[in-house]
This record gives sequence, structure tokens and C-alpha cells, in this order.
Amino acid sequence: MPQRIDLDAAYGPSEDVVVREVEGELIIVPLVAGVGDLEDELYTLNETGRAVWRRLDGRRTVRSVVAELADEFEAPAEAIEADVLGLLAELERRRIVARKA
Amino acid sequence: MKTARAVPGGAEFPLPGDSLSELMRQVLAKGKPFRFKARGLSMSPFIKDGDVLTVTPLATAPRTGDVAAFLHPATGRLVVHRLVRKRAGRYQFKGDNADEVERGLPIERIVGLVTSVERDGRELGLRRRAGVAVAGLSRTGLLRTAVAAARRAGVRRRGRA
Repeated sequence: MPQRIDLDAAYGPSEDVVVREVEGELIIVPLVAGVGDLEDELYTLNETGRAVWRRLDGRRTVRSVVAELADEFEAPAEAIEADVLGLLAELERRRIVARKA
Repeated sequence: MKTARAVPGGAEFPLPGDSLSELMRQVLAKGKPFRFKARGLSMSPFIKDGDVLTVTPLATAPRTGDVAAFLHPATGRLVVHRLVRKRAGRYQFKGDNADEVERGLPIERIVGLVTSVERDGRELGLRRRAGVAVAGLSRTGLLRTAVAAARRAGVRRRGRA
């Protein structure tokens, strides 16, 4: 069952993930089952995803990330919140991010 | 604003060589194996273009006949070749299907050992004794002749069947 993302928690990259920026793309390789698998387990984030990722520093709360993005993209906070929660749930399910605080 | 998404995409996202080597180094530095698709013909026929390799961190010093990933001293690019000679703590590598020999590499340039080769979804065996024999033939320049002879023999056998 997927974990619920807490708006007042802070999330950051998991210990078991390798990340590198290549030609503007963010390449994420989770070490699933103890293997860095570029063949079957490589992810990239789209532009919005990268904007979220840059703010996942383990200190900012999800609520503050949403507020920053709403400001940056001049979009309604409700829509941004749904988007960020959806992405975080997916990244947490894949063990790419973890709750830090 | 587009919906934020994580996009899965291994084979669909070819990485430049230096990014591949950097990702591999990061993964191996965590003590984990690294699985990726090989490109090029320099290790044919033992490793072919498109084979999926698993490289594991070095637990002990590599031995003659092992296939290893190392960083090329001139280009910094990741290369997967066979160790054909080891002398005074320096390593000599050669692609099974290549003419150039990389001599005098220190162990620090070697990032890991190839421990698995998959082709068309099937794992191919990496036999240690065969690796030693291949290294000897490769070093003396006789490997291509031996491979061609083995192929001819295989064709003759199939022809008789």
C-alpha cells in the first residue's frame, strides 16, 4: 500500500540512488535489489519533475516546496500540490526519495 | 505547467561515455554492481554490441584473463577489455578484437570486473580457464586466427550433420 506523503515532512534523495545531470537531463539510477541497473531501472525527470527534485534537500517541507513552485510557475497551489504529492509518492515507491525530517 | 513525472527509460536514453563511466563509478563506490548495455565491437565475439554487462567492484586484484572496466588514461572514457598481462603491479589490457594494447595501467584506473554477460536475455558463462587461454592468444595476436578456425570447424560440423 503506498505511503501517504506528509505535507509537513521534508524529503530528500535516498541513500541508495545515484544521480547525474547529463545534457540538461537528470539521470536517476536507484540501486534496486543492490544493483545499479542502467538497462531496466533508469529514470529521467521532466522539467517540472526537475524543479521539484532541486528542492528535495531534506530540509524544506513539502508544503514549502509547493509554495515555491506555485510562485515560480505562477500556477494555483492546489494544482501544484496534487502534482508534487503524486511525484513524491511515485519516487518514494521506487525508493528514489526518502523522508528525512 | 506540465505534470511532474519520473520517466523510466534505460535503452531509450543513450549516455555519453563520460557520463556512463561517472555513473558506474558512483554505483561501484557504493559497493554495488552496475548493469549496462555494451557498445562497440572491440571485444567481439565474446562480448558483442548490445550485450548487457554486469560490472562488480574489485574485491581482489584482477587476474590475467579477466574482463574488466577501466578508465582510459588518455581519454578518460570507460573501456571494457581483457587483462592480458600483469607485471610489477601494472596491468596490460587488450580488446579481443582490437589491435591496440593499453600498457602500464595502475590498479587505480580499473573500476570493476565484468561478472556477467547477457545476450538476447540469456546469461553467457564467463569461464575462468577459457579467459586465460583467450588472453594468451590475444597477447600473441593469434586470437583472430583461432576464432576464424573455430568458426570454420563449426561450419564443417554443421555441414556434416
